[in-house]
Amino acid sequence: MKKYIILQILFLVILFANSALSISSPYPQRIISLGPYITEALYLLGVQDKLIGCTVYCKRPPDAEKKEKVGTVIQINIEKILTLKPDLVIATALTQKKDIEKLKKLGIKVIRFSSPKNFFEICSQFLELGRIVGRYDIAEKIVQEAEDRVGQIKSKTENLPKVKIFIEIGTNPLFTINNDSFVNDFIEFAGGINIAKDAKTGIYSREAVLKENPDVIIIATMGIVADKEKQIWEKYKTLKAVKNNRIYIFDAYKLCSPTPISFAETLEELVNILHFKR
Amino acid sequence: MGITNITFKKFISLIFTERGSIEYSVLFDIRLPRIILGLAIGGALSLAGVILQGLFRNPLVEPYTLGISGGAALGVCLNIIFQLEQNLGGISLPLSGFLGAILIIFLVYSLSIKKGILKIQELLLTGVMLSFILSSLIMLIMAISHIQDLQGIIFWIMGSLAEPNWFLIKLMFFVSILGLLFSYIFCHALNALSLGEEEALHLGINVELTKRLLFILASLLTGFSVSVAGIIGFVGLVVPHFMRNLIGNDHRILLISSFLSGAGFLVLCDTLARTIISPLELPVGVITGILGGSIFIYVLSKKQMKS
Repeated sequence: MKKYIILQILFLVILFANSALSISSPYPQRIISLGPYITEALYLLGVQDKLIGCTVYCKRPPDAEKKEKVGTVIQINIEKILTLKPDLVIATALTQKKDIEKLKKLGIKVIRFSSPKNFFEICSQFLELGRIVGRYDIAEKIVQEAEDRVGQIKSKTENLPKVKIFIEIGTNPLFTINNDSFVNDFIEFAGGINIAKDAKTGIYSREAVLKENPDVIIIATMGIVADKEKQIWEKYKTLKAVKNNRIYIFDAYKLCSPTPISFAETLEELVNILHFKR
Repeated sequence: MGITNITFKKFISLIFTERGSIEYSVLFDIRLPRIILGLAIGGALSLAGVILQGLFRNPLVEPYTLGISGGAALGVCLNIIFQLEQNLGGISLPLSGFLGAILIIFLVYSLSIKKGILKIQELLLTGVMLSFILSSLIMLIMAISHIQDLQGIIFWIMGSLAEPNWFLIKLMFFVSILGLLFSYIFCHALNALSLGEEEALHLGINVELTKRLLFILASLLTGFSVSVAGIIGFVGLVVPHFMRNLIGNDHRILLISSFLSGAGFLVLCDTLARTIISPLELPVGVITGILGGSIFIYVLSKKQMKS
């Protein structure tokens, strides 16, 4: 009986210590993510149990679909967020400024990450996120691993002949990527030259593509649209990419969800396509 | 209603006892500002619609016909692409919208004055043409702007009542009430004008002054509304029409009843917009268009059947 009571007291002490610890923890315990790549990063950092809500677009990893939904990437439901009682909301460049302002006025801490412009920014943002949620060591390890992998690929592709690439991320109007986006780093690290690198915005004309005559065209849109686009390109027989049958359809999710790890993985895939035609 | 279920009983106890709870915050920090802004904007747009339709004696005129909304939209677009918002803070967006609106009001007004007389038909034509030019300019800006700016512009144009700034909400409320009071000075003049300008003149109305003041009043109401909440369509067209059908052409009751029903209509639409597919929210313009349009067609067809 005595033993039982001691056990009980011990249990209570541990329970109390635990709750006291979690109260005094300097790191957020109830996080809401407003962007798919933020959600993915939080899972990578191993804090998924602290993630209490995300957007309907957050589908990777599959477990994220089970989390409470607070709206889309561009249109969030403030009422829903408020009732979930978060202590940190992580917004993206696509979150509306009015909404962020409102959340702050309601006394909720909001951190906003801008769209990463290159691989370096992907890593530094990931480290920053790790620091905020108290997993800097894990973030550091992941970034180190990704940097190593990317470095190896870079040294491999350095001596290979450069490949001219046009990358299509939207149709009607034809939309591509200039060097304002980390997607440009994919191309350069993989030993390619982005023909639209110096374009002012993403809108690009078909005429300019014909004139630049890229070796490879990559279509990164989803579903039937991509096949249709491929057929359209195939009408222009003068294109080197058409002559050599080098138009590829690429998973847009992989290209546009920038965590350090997925960057390295996607880069490897791209190198295979560009240089080994796989 | 909505995401958080708050019953009426709960509502009463919230007001008196549970300050600082989540439900209290949902009611008074999120829903109340939206409702007040909805009342103000809905009222102001409907009022502007009634005045302009009376002034032009044309049932197709609405607050956005004269390019005022286009001017505000252009102002906001320029603000967004030059990133003035970062330097001047959140209030600069409605401010630049309002400046754009004022500029267009001034332009339309001065272009339509010939030999000291405000030509109503020319006012209408100039306004329509200007609004075409403006929407093309906005498209131009959208075509050459960055993706992130583009998103800001599109959202602003779609219109929303979720304004975080209490000052703007109070200002808008004040403006629309003031507009209502001011419009009542002209209710007899509007009745006379609906007979025709010459007839109004014979009835002893200072037609020239009335036209100018009414135009400026309606424009200011529109300018304020659009600057604060973006372009929320259909309220200013359908509500005045509907009320004209319902209670006739006497502006003495038409003004106040349009104001009230416009206010109620917009709040209703906004409530639907944020609850129908919750937790996702629809732009309020989707609901005003669908609901307003279909009710209107229904009423119109019923009226034809009777006659």
